[in-house]
Amino acid sequence: METILHVEKLSKSYGKIKAVNQLSFEVGRGQVFGILGPNGSGKTTTLSMLLDLMPPENGEFSWFGQPPSKESRKRIGSVIESPNFFPYLDAVINLKIVADIKDKPYDDIDEVLKLAGLYERRFSKFRTFSFGMRQRLALASALLGKPEVLILDEPTNGLDPQGIAQIREIIALVASRGTTILLASHLLDEVQKICSYVVVLRKGIMLFGGNVKEVLAVSDSIELSASDMPALIAAVRELPGYISFIETEGMIQVHFSEIVNTAGINTFLYQRGIFLSHLAEKRRSLEQHFLELLQETP
Amino acid sequence: MIKLLKIEFKKIRTYKVFWILTGLYFVFLAAGILLAEFMINNMVNQMNKRFPIPFPHVAIYYFPDVWQNVAFFASIRYVLIFPAIIMIILITNEFTYKTIRQNVINGMSRTEFLASKLLIILIMAVVITVILSAGSFLIGLFHSGFNEVSLFSKGIPFMAAFFISLLCYMVYAFFCGFMLRNTGMAIAIFTLYSLIIEPVVYFFFRAPFMFKNTIYTYLPVNTVIRLSEYPAIPILKKMMGLNLQDHVSFVACLIPMGYAAIMIGIASWVLKKKDL
Repeated sequence: METILHVEKLSKSYGKIKAVNQLSFEVGRGQVFGILGPNGSGKTTTLSMLLDLMPPENGEFSWFGQPPSKESRKRIGSVIESPNFFPYLDAVINLKIVADIKDKPYDDIDEVLKLAGLYERRFSKFRTFSFGMRQRLALASALLGKPEVLILDEPTNGLDPQGIAQIREIIALVASRGTTILLASHLLDEVQKICSYVVVLRKGIMLFGGNVKEVLAVSDSIELSASDMPALIAAVRELPGYISFIETEGMIQVHFSEIVNTAGINTFLYQRGIFLSHLAEKRRSLEQHFLELLQETP
Repeated sequence: MIKLLKIEFKKIRTYKVFWILTGLYFVFLAAGILLAEFMINNMVNQMNKRFPIPFPHVAIYYFPDVWQNVAFFASIRYVLIFPAIIMIILITNEFTYKTIRQNVINGMSRTEFLASKLLIILIMAVVITVILSAGSFLIGLFHSGFNEVSLFSKGIPFMAAFFISLLCYMVYAFFCGFMLRNTGMAIAIFTLYSLIIEPVVYFFFRAPFMFKNTIYTYLPVNTVIRLSEYPAIPILKKMMGLNLQDHVSFVACLIPMGYAAIMIGIASWVLKKKDL
């Protein structure tokens, strides 16, 4: 796969605080890539360096296989933190300024405004827009000129559920067109729903990175139920990696110290003459995983 | 270049505050110039009531003096401050609304950003100077016809001096706004410095305590104003032997340009270094 963004040992400090520390990752064309981390973990600092808002202290990165330049930024659409527009200009003029800077024609201004649901308000001053509309205009401006990469920093921050849904719908549509997306968020749910790849940051350090599905595949507890519950419980204790169980409403939830194979468990219990009426993997959510990751490292 | 101007023009085309302030500037400027003679002669009338020898009325709108007089009135601190404030607003808006950040994100280089602001200063200075020159010409024409237009001996030198004054003063204002990044603070400090601090410094350091070229002569705002320091009132010269300004000093023009160049250099260095 073609590499769109290559980041190598990127570092940046604010005084004594290391905001980003030796961060390396790679984004391929068409990927929906998440940068996940709590507030202050270095997400915005990372994106700011990637967009030339601040120089990195150490390390380097390349866009489209080339050293970063204003030309590479013209191929990227970005929404970083708050939407930044002139409040006294209308939506169309604000977007025309963006198009001028990016050397893109005005042709798709109407299209992106429609996509963002702002076409009717296109001649209203930015000042008169609601918070959700501002966020959508920022997204519209990022989509102007069909960028190859879309960078979104907390795109749904502070929005109401309806606003969040609208933004996510647009992101999903853009992703389906094959646009590479780099999304920074502190919301696990958001990354889980939108992204296929993820790096998890804490205090500027990458804790972990990889395929979101692989992360979700970590399963360490199983729900079981059988007609002969006492026999089931007795048998379960003999399973390898067994830690504990909780009994709830006619079933038990069993915890293991390692990843378990449900087929193996079924065979094992069948051989003991226990017939299961219920067997389900209880996958850890990314959220639990995330919180654990954050706690594990001192 | 054209692209940067197109962008800058979009930023101001529908910006009401810009047009209101520009309109006010021209109203203030025109009123000042057109009422000047009346006000001066009004003062003369008052004086004549107390002195036995009557002082003659002045005429300031005739060729060739009109060029110098218009340049003088337009270079007064209180008038020049208008375009400076407009410039401060235009640059600090970029920081207030974080649009400088967005411009860079979208693919504008920092140098291009600086160039676009300097371009708009240049264009504004050119437009204002052209309008003022046309106005002076019409005033002169109205009062003395085509006699002694003196375009080359007086017209062009004094209008050019005004152009340099305006250009440099707007660069100062840009620099102040750029460094402070906050509209209110930048306007307050710039106005305070231009209208109060420098004149106070003048008061304390004026001759005879020092040599003729005092510190004051080289203070940035004064070097701008000094290019058209005095009006041309021939009667004063005739009657009282006052030797006021009769030409524009080329060397004097270089000083504010030097200041402006240093400020542009610092701004460019800061812009390259600083996080946006």
